[in-house]
Amino acid sequence: MSVDQHGASVPAARATARRVLPPPVTGQELVLVGVIALLWILLGIFTPAFLTAGSIRPLLVSVAPIALIGVGMTFIIITAGIDVSVGGAIMLCAVVTAKSLVDLDLALPLAIGLSIGLGLLLGLLNGVLIAYGRVHAIIITFGTANVFQFLALRVFGSSTVNGIPGTFDVFGRGEAGRTFGIPHSFLITVVIVAVAWWYLRHTSGGRNLFAIGGNAQAARLAGIAVQPRILAAYALTGALVGLAACFFIAAGTSTLDQAVGSGRELAVIAAVVIGGTSILGGRGSVIGTLLGAILVQTVTSGVTQIGWPSQLANLFVGLFIIIAVGTDLLRQRARKAS
Amino acid sequence: MTVTSNSTAPPSGAPAEAPRERRGLFSRGLEALLTQRVALLVVLIVLLLIVMSILDAAGLLSGSFNSDYLAAALISAVPLAMLGLAQLMVILSGRGGIDLSVGSMVSLTGVVFGYAYGLWGWSLIAALILAVVVGGVCGAVNGVLVAYIGFPPLIATLATYYAYRSLALVVSDQKPVNSPVIRDFYSAAKSVEIPLVGGSLPLVPLGIFTFLIPTIVVVWLLLNKTTFGRRLYALGTNNVAATWSGINVNPNRLAVYVASGVISGLVAVVTVAQFASARPDAGTSGNGMALPAITIAVLGGVAITGGIGRVAGIVLSTLLIVWINASILLTLPGNDGTRFQLLALGAVLIFASLLNGLTKRIYGGI
Amino acid sequence: MSAENGQAVVEPALRLELRDIVKSYGGVRAIRHADFAVRPGTVHALVGENGAGKSTLIKIIAGAERADAGSIAFNGETTTIASTADAIKLGVQTVYQEPQLFPELSVAENVFVGRELKRGLPIDWTAQADHMHDLLGTVGLPDRIATVPVGTLSIAEQQQVSIAKALAGEATVLILDEPSAILTDSEIDVLFAVIRRLTASGVAVIYISHRLDELFRIADVVTVMRDGRTITTEAIGDLSVRQIAELMVGGVLSESRPQQSAAGGEVVLELDRLSSVGRFADVSLTVRSGEIVGLYGLVGSGAGDIASVVYGIDRATSGRMLLSGQPVAIHSAAKARRLGIHLLPANRSAQGSFSFQSIAFNIIAGELKLLSKLPGWVTRRRERDIARKFIDRLAVKTPSQNQPLSAMSGGNAQKVVLARQLVKRPRLLVLVEPTQGVDVGAKEEIHRIISRLADEGTAVLVVTSDLGEVLRISDRILVVRSGEVAAEFRPDATQVEVLAAASGAETAGPSTTKESA
Repeated sequence: MSVDQHGASVPAARATARRVLPPPVTGQELVLVGVIALLWILLGIFTPAFLTAGSIRPLLVSVAPIALIGVGMTFIIITAGIDVSVGGAIMLCAVVTAKSLVDLDLALPLAIGLSIGLGLLLGLLNGVLIAYGRVHAIIITFGTANVFQFLALRVFGSSTVNGIPGTFDVFGRGEAGRTFGIPHSFLITVVIVAVAWWYLRHTSGGRNLFAIGGNAQAARLAGIAVQPRILAAYALTGALVGLAACFFIAAGTSTLDQAVGSGRELAVIAAVVIGGTSILGGRGSVIGTLLGAILVQTVTSGVTQIGWPSQLANLFVGLFIIIAVGTDLLRQRARKAS
Repeated sequence: MTVTSNSTAPPSGAPAEAPRERRGLFSRGLEALLTQRVALLVVLIVLLLIVMSILDAAGLLSGSFNSDYLAAALISAVPLAMLGLAQLMVILSGRGGIDLSVGSMVSLTGVVFGYAYGLWGWSLIAALILAVVVGGVCGAVNGVLVAYIGFPPLIATLATYYAYRSLALVVSDQKPVNSPVIRDFYSAAKSVEIPLVGGSLPLVPLGIFTFLIPTIVVVWLLLNKTTFGRRLYALGTNNVAATWSGINVNPNRLAVYVASGVISGLVAVVTVAQFASARPDAGTSGNGMALPAITIAVLGGVAITGGIGRVAGIVLSTLLIVWINASILLTLPGNDGTRFQLLALGAVLIFASLLNGLTKRIYGGI
Repeated sequence: MSAENGQAVVEPALRLELRDIVKSYGGVRAIRHADFAVRPGTVHALVGENGAGKSTLIKIIAGAERADAGSIAFNGETTTIASTADAIKLGVQTVYQEPQLFPELSVAENVFVGRELKRGLPIDWTAQADHMHDLLGTVGLPDRIATVPVGTLSIAEQQQVSIAKALAGEATVLILDEPSAILTDSEIDVLFAVIRRLTASGVAVIYISHRLDELFRIADVVTVMRDGRTITTEAIGDLSVRQIAELMVGGVLSESRPQQSAAGGEVVLELDRLSSVGRFADVSLTVRSGEIVGLYGLVGSGAGDIASVVYGIDRATSGRMLLSGQPVAIHSAAKARRLGIHLLPANRSAQGSFSFQSIAFNIIAGELKLLSKLPGWVTRRRERDIARKFIDRLAVKTPSQNQPLSAMSGGNAQKVVLARQLVKRPRLLVLVEPTQGVDVGAKEEIHRIISRLADEGTAVLVVTSDLGEVLRISDRILVVRSGEVAAEFRPDATQVEVLAAASGAETAGPSTTKESA
């Protein structure tokens, strides 16, 4: 019968090519930029010291590891997974690397390689259990978090790790740790975020992650190798945890205490969620995650600079999560209603 | 061709149709262990007791492994099992139900209870009611976010985990609430004789009778003997079908998060008694209380996707965890012991969830 | 005229040949023995009752399942299909009954998912857009739809996207699993045109459908499955609808139809110019006690939405609803049930079943108040008694009321969900697609149950897109088209009349309503 009357020509189709592309930046990200700018201005007004290099630089140093792990976590959450073991993994990578620096005086590339390699291994362990054990990610990673912590505490022995040499100063807060005044750790993070953004937006591997998170069954039927891709997301996160552990060591003094990594998994997840990535999978962006990390760290450092109790920062983090996710939910509901 | 012989199975198909009766005792036993989580837990507990008794007899333990020791270890079962029951109800409700904020709620309500009972001179009952109400309100915030606004429970309770933890620390100025009244309240955590059956049995922590057993009974009755329990299993199994069956899903889902808050309030009181002070980080220090509670639930056979789980599973898995921890302390004294408890918790959680997955794959259900 | 299974007759070589296929799940034998061969350029229909093994056979071809035994040959060469990726490599593309799509992603991305066109590592968006243009044209969707997230499309549009997706991968074999179930007549016409174009270019199409009459418009060959076996394969011209149906059930269909119940009690439900913006408008109708009113509409007509509003799942935006003469406002299914309105939902697995709970649990789930005299309390004995009563009354085949619902066949599960609506006698029973996905035997039984309920005085509103069903059980037929009640018929109306009213007289071509019974 009347099959169709598509009148569009090939050039018209070319014109839609650009629109077939997923949007480069989401509305939520623009809002986040606005909120961060507003906070910085307000903080600048109330505590003039805030908008100085001496205050912003440590802020960026503290953003780096959270955003870096956040990149991996974004990949994982896009596939509708989660990893709450990153805190324990940071602890294990950091203590092993720090001990090696102290005991073996490793060179910088070797130390980084060791940390990333160990992180990768831990990520692979999570990934194998989740992708092939067909077990709920949150449960498994709760379990591995404990195991990682146990191992880390064993390596720690009874005390802190002291006398860490300055091998990682290149990632540190000091003069050696920055170029044109910008901390290296933050620069590296920004580069990795950019690469991850391009990968998620422009490659089939990236797009398939969204498909897996949107509907894993359909993805499998479409011939996507679902399990290896999920495994890869956890492995990537592990490797990034390894690099972030180097940042954590560098950000401290020459000692490493047992609190390293503690609670970071929630900070990372908070950054990812505030950045607009849906915990249900299928939607998300690494730029949002970077912005989310900046927002969380701004609040944390802002609260103390204003002179409020530092513990109050977590209340704001909680509220930001509720506001970010809540507005997204209400917007979706409004869209459905119309 | 024995049980369902009314089907007209053609002759050619018959030989391959292995009748269930012909299977060996072993494979039937295995199925029972894997599909009946309660049975597996009982077997594991018995195994643990046997192994530890042998080690004890061989003199390899740092203390004696006897019924007094096991009974005394139950003191840590009180908060664990209660929060495990809270997780049971929340996870049962489905749609990703989970409550990460229980530890923070324990901290916050503990501080409030500490102020009311220890500093403002409220009676114990009044302070207890206040703790329960505050817990209920905290839980209601989670419930409204999840049930009425549509937050994924993981995110809602992550946010309130942050918020309540922060509030507990800010309200108390990061200092434990202390007073003579609260120090005396430690007596609520002492061990007592089991009533009626009397003195021949070991002393049991008082909290078992005053808090844990009442909570177990109430939750069991709620889940098994009330229509609320039915509605809960229904909406946890299939939220849409529950709606189409005329069940108002939102208030019922809200209710389980409130229940989780109420139980957290009770646990806060128990914890204050145990520590003899209201610590603002009581439920959040270290790994916090949420993780062990979730571990207990998963080990107890609760399906993380909702709709499946029993009170007996929670009780038995708590016993197993508590006694494993107690055994570790005897086997590896000192700092090592507490660390190996971490390993045990993690390993048991991974083992339990892999087992749940395996069971589902082989037998199509837990 | 028995099975020939295409062995000796060579002509065009076989595109795909399955021999001696056996497949069990646990102890259940889904396929006892199947032979199936498809030639290029033909439409090969696969029919059978639910549970006959069609879906399993399809899954084996599509690589979603592996056969326990048997061989598969592709273009004459023996091959193994161990995964969906293997199947896709051979050009075996499947359009599943439930669209397997990604709601957050755009149509274009959905179509190319898993087989993105690339330029080096990155995706070649321009090439995809060009290709999209052709594909959308082929399936009859406008170009602008390429950038829209799939989640915002209608089910029918999603199905067309699924077909475009299957075509993007250079199909050699295209499997269509009940593609017409959710399509309107004009959409089916488009679908058939697409299929003909594909077969003309040599694609082998495997076509699964419950609507036997439409096979005569599209299929060349038909294979009938029963009890996990392929019973026969014949040219479509050698069979009639009735013969196919008889082969499916394995016997002669009973001629007897349920007695029509007599209309004429008090008016139970009255809708007065009820509207719901964007769904339906100005719907007025009455249902009397003892009467079965059939609300017939093709998918997307709005008939199902009317039911949802009556049951309080959706809201009306204007108009009145009266129950026994009293105006009522119903905001929830709970309220509807309190007023005595019960509804059997259309989508059993999503809206009706508590799959891993027991049959008893499923039956009682709607009337928990009956479980005890004490409010809020549950007595196991009462639950068991009620469950047993309805298992008997509806002839549910099960060893015990403690069996989980997931262990039951489609027809039996449907009866359990129907039983839930009858535990308390409804004043008004609304049945939406009561026999969708149910085998012929169970369909007959469910029709008898509905008739009996009406005879006992219940007002019944049957919402269905099954023409045979609505003519067979209704006392009065209302046809819904584009959200409006377009016509009313007596049960002695012909299929042609009703279908013409439902699909719109101006678009109903002369051949679309061809009768075959």
